Amino acid sequence: MDLLRRILGLQPTGEQPVTPQETPETPSDPVVTSPGGAPTAPLDPQLEDLMASEGRTRQLPPLETVLTPSEGARLNYGQFSDVGQIRDNNQDSMLSMTLSMTGNDQDPNFGLFIVADGMGGHEDGEKASAMTTHVIAKYVTKDIFVPMLNGETGGDADRPTIIEVLRNAVQKANDVVAERVPDGGTTATAAAVMGNLAYIAHVGDSRAYIITADGIEQATRDHSLVQRLIELDQLTPEDAIDHPQRNVLYRAIGQSDNLDVDAITRHLPPASYLLICSDGLWNLVTKEELKQIVITHQDNTQSACEALVNLANERGGTDNITVVIIRVPGKK
Amino acid sequence: MVDTKQFASEPKKELLGVDGALQLNSVLMKRYRITGVLGVGGMGSVYQARDLQFPSAERFVAVKEMLNLSQDPNLRSISLKNFEREANLLAALSHPAIPTIHDYFTHKDRAYLVMEYINGKDLETILNTVTEPIPIDMVLKWSIDLCDVLSYLHSHDPIIIFRDMKPANIMIDNHGRLRLIDFGIARTFQSGEKGTMIGTEGYSAPEQYKGMAAPQSDIFGFGATLHHILTGHDPRLEPPFTFADRPIREANPLVPPQLEAIVMKALAFDPDQRFQSIAEIKPILESILRGGAPAVTLPMEGITLDEPDEWGQQETSIDTRWKFKVEEEIRSSPAYYSGVVFVGSYDTNLWAINAENGQLRWKFPTDGGIGTTPAISPQEQVVVIGSDDYNLYAIDIRSGRVNWKMTAHGPVRSSPTIKHGHVFVGSDDGNLYALRINTGRSAWKYDAGVPIRCSPLVTDDLIIFGTESGDVYGLDLSGQLKWRFKTKRSVMSMPVIHGGLVFFGSFDYHMYAVDIKNGWSVWRFRTGKPIISSPIVVDELVIFGSADGYVYALDIGSGRERWKFETGNQVISSPVYSDGAIYIGGVDGKVYSIDIRKGRERWTYTTGGPVSGSPCVADGVVYIGSTDHHLYALKA
Repeated sequence: MDLLRRILGLQPTGEQPVTPQETPETPSDPVVTSPGGAPTAPLDPQLEDLMASEGRTRQLPPLETVLTPSEGARLNYGQFSDVGQIRDNNQDSMLSMTLSMTGNDQDPNFGLFIVADGMGGHEDGEKASAMTTHVIAKYVTKDIFVPMLNGETGGDADRPTIIEVLRNAVQKANDVVAERVPDGGTTATAAAVMGNLAYIAHVGDSRAYIITADGIEQATRDHSLVQRLIELDQLTPEDAIDHPQRNVLYRAIGQSDNLDVDAITRHLPPASYLLICSDGLWNLVTKEELKQIVITHQDNTQSACEALVNLANERGGTDNITVVIIRVPGKK
Repeated sequence: MVDTKQFASEPKKELLGVDGALQLNSVLMKRYRITGVLGVGGMGSVYQARDLQFPSAERFVAVKEMLNLSQDPNLRSISLKNFEREANLLAALSHPAIPTIHDYFTHKDRAYLVMEYINGKDLETILNTVTEPIPIDMVLKWSIDLCDVLSYLHSHDPIIIFRDMKPANIMIDNHGRLRLIDFGIARTFQSGEKGTMIGTEGYSAPEQYKGMAAPQSDIFGFGATLHHILTGHDPRLEPPFTFADRPIREANPLVPPQLEAIVMKALAFDPDQRFQSIAEIKPILESILRGGAPAVTLPMEGITLDEPDEWGQQETSIDTRWKFKVEEEIRSSPAYYSGVVFVGSYDTNLWAINAENGQLRWKFPTDGGIGTTPAISPQEQVVVIGSDDYNLYAIDIRSGRVNWKMTAHGPVRSSPTIKHGHVFVGSDDGNLYALRINTGRSAWKYDAGVPIRCSPLVTDDLIIFGTESGDVYGLDLSGQLKWRFKTKRSVMSMPVIHGGLVFFGSFDYHMYAVDIKNGWSVWRFRTGKPIISSPIVVDELVIFGSADGYVYALDIGSGRERWKFETGNQVISSPVYSDGAIYIGGVDGKVYSIDIRKGRERWTYTTGGPVSGSPCVADGVVYIGSTDHHLYALKA
């Protein structure tokens, strides 16, 4: 093989040891050979600078000062809950908490948003939904929020994943509701927003939507009989709207010991919106209208919430109406 | 009509349930003395009563009471008429499994049905109390009885659809005979809209939720009831219509396959896919009960719930375009560029082969075995490959001559990645190198301290790679550490990024998803053995192989299993996607083509040795190497 290489002129010549200054702690460095004086293609100047090749000695700036325009924008959100026109009590609960900071570290914005729609008489619904928001917030704070404030990045295989933390938080809420409000139940849709990722835990038929200027997408799947029938092509979405059993859930908090919780991760595009609401809203306001009103109000998420609730009330307000809208920082 | 004085003004505690429940020893119609409560429901109660018509005999009857809940007087009267019509219909039935109707009457907002008292237990109660599975022979006998009674109803004139087949409506009397109770007459009185509520019927056929009912609906209910009896899983506690997710023989291996097939066919979503009449089922059940082969062969079509398709081709029909023999095992993956396939082998050579005809174009010898996948720079017209001889080579695509090489301090078993005008590659010397693609000169290196055999993932702003100690590093483009994630054992699986998440497998058996910004773990999924295979993301699925012998597809957002595909041995190879299918090699020597929607085999091709490398697919051809010393070109 060596002979062949020599014949073909492949034997390396003119070795040039290269010592990258960026890694001075390494005593000896690899040898690079460049026999042919290969043609040099132009590099993107910014990348060229970043890669700091050949002969550069200066320490490079941290990446985000070069590439990422930090807007310093915080998570902007609005929320509104209303009893509606028919019911005399509001069994919905909602909870929001956010952390926004400016500083030289890389902490992303953090927010937790929960909507729970309780059911059951004698104030059981109210209790179940409120209790659920408290318990979820408690566990998310303990297992995500506090470690984040501790500056923990990365992690290890033993640490619970974010999905596990969220699932666990909702299951804990299930345990507490089953014990303290045995006759009550509730839905729960909880979204932890970190940077451009949303972690959503979900049980029941409250909904989370992701809205951009281009469209609206339902991120959660209703745990309802009619939704299941639609998925099996046994019912059309149109027939579901006034189906006599459209309120029948097959999964909710406070109903069984082993609660199966949907927990998903979704990427939120810059300047998109995350909307979480109870069925009192989505039963009366179409997806397109949700999108239209949210986009029209732009940064004014609070007035978008109020406009949506007003619209549902104008259309009869048949149930409690709760909505939270979160605007993701960034430019379109 | 009814002696009102006999009604309790204050219901007794033990007769709780509905306002105005009957009191113990109250007498209805001067004939039925209430002796106990058999059941309490939202619509009314069922009482045990003694028939005073037979003073010297202890003759008991069951009295079913139904409240008329309609507020509207018109609806109330319609409800009552319906009740009377149905009571008459029931009274005309005559079958050993149907309790005899003795009498019916109405009073104010209540209607009463007097029927034969059955001394026994309902099947739901039985299922709730047993700890062992019910013996198959007993289930078969009950099923045959159910077929009989349903056949009777379905052939009645007018036809009677039971509509509410479920364990609670089946009684097993003290003689072990099956009796059908509750003909759903109570539904006549149901009205009004309820708020959000929990719980579904669980046993009803899909079409019944559209208000339709046919004999096939009872067949579905029959199947749902048998599924509950055989598996012990109450369908009301599961998402609706998920029977297929709880295979009967997985829960209870004693169930004969034919019985499982009957139940699953009865549970088809589409009524046309079920048995067309309940009478078809009985002879099959009887033959199973007798043991031996069923006298009636079960039509298998329509038993699976999936639509038929073209998958499952025979191996013989797989077109081998060509195969090319090298001098040693191929354990790495080929790369395709512009009509040429490049592949490294343990014979120390990098081979360049014409994709069209499998002819050798050139080979480039190194001084060590090659277990890495070549990377191609179209801009520089070089193919870059690492060797066990400690070198990374950049070889001219056309001539096969070396353009530059970089010598590390250990074998290069990491497949290089080319991006941003640089080559990124790890070595057993513990370094990750960033080299200029045009000259091979070092931009920087990162010392991880342990061998790096993982191919680095390079995004617009990060470099992510795993090490033999199990750490996964996220570096920025200047080589500064952004985050580190620790798994428990080595990471050779090349990470893949999608939607802000990074996915990679580890020898610690897990597939991980971490947040690309900070390395926080988002979800993980445990397989039965180490994961060496690099995942791919297709269609919101993360697909990869595991040494436990399966190819897995997980939901990208939640990490839940969507399907898994069983091979005959470990899966080290990484999947490649093309046109609705993935292609992957197995240590069992096979190359698999798997449909990604359902995770079903499209075809397999058997090579002469374990296939640990991954394929590449170009222009409808799958190129893959095997340890049998061959590179194969197969038609996708």
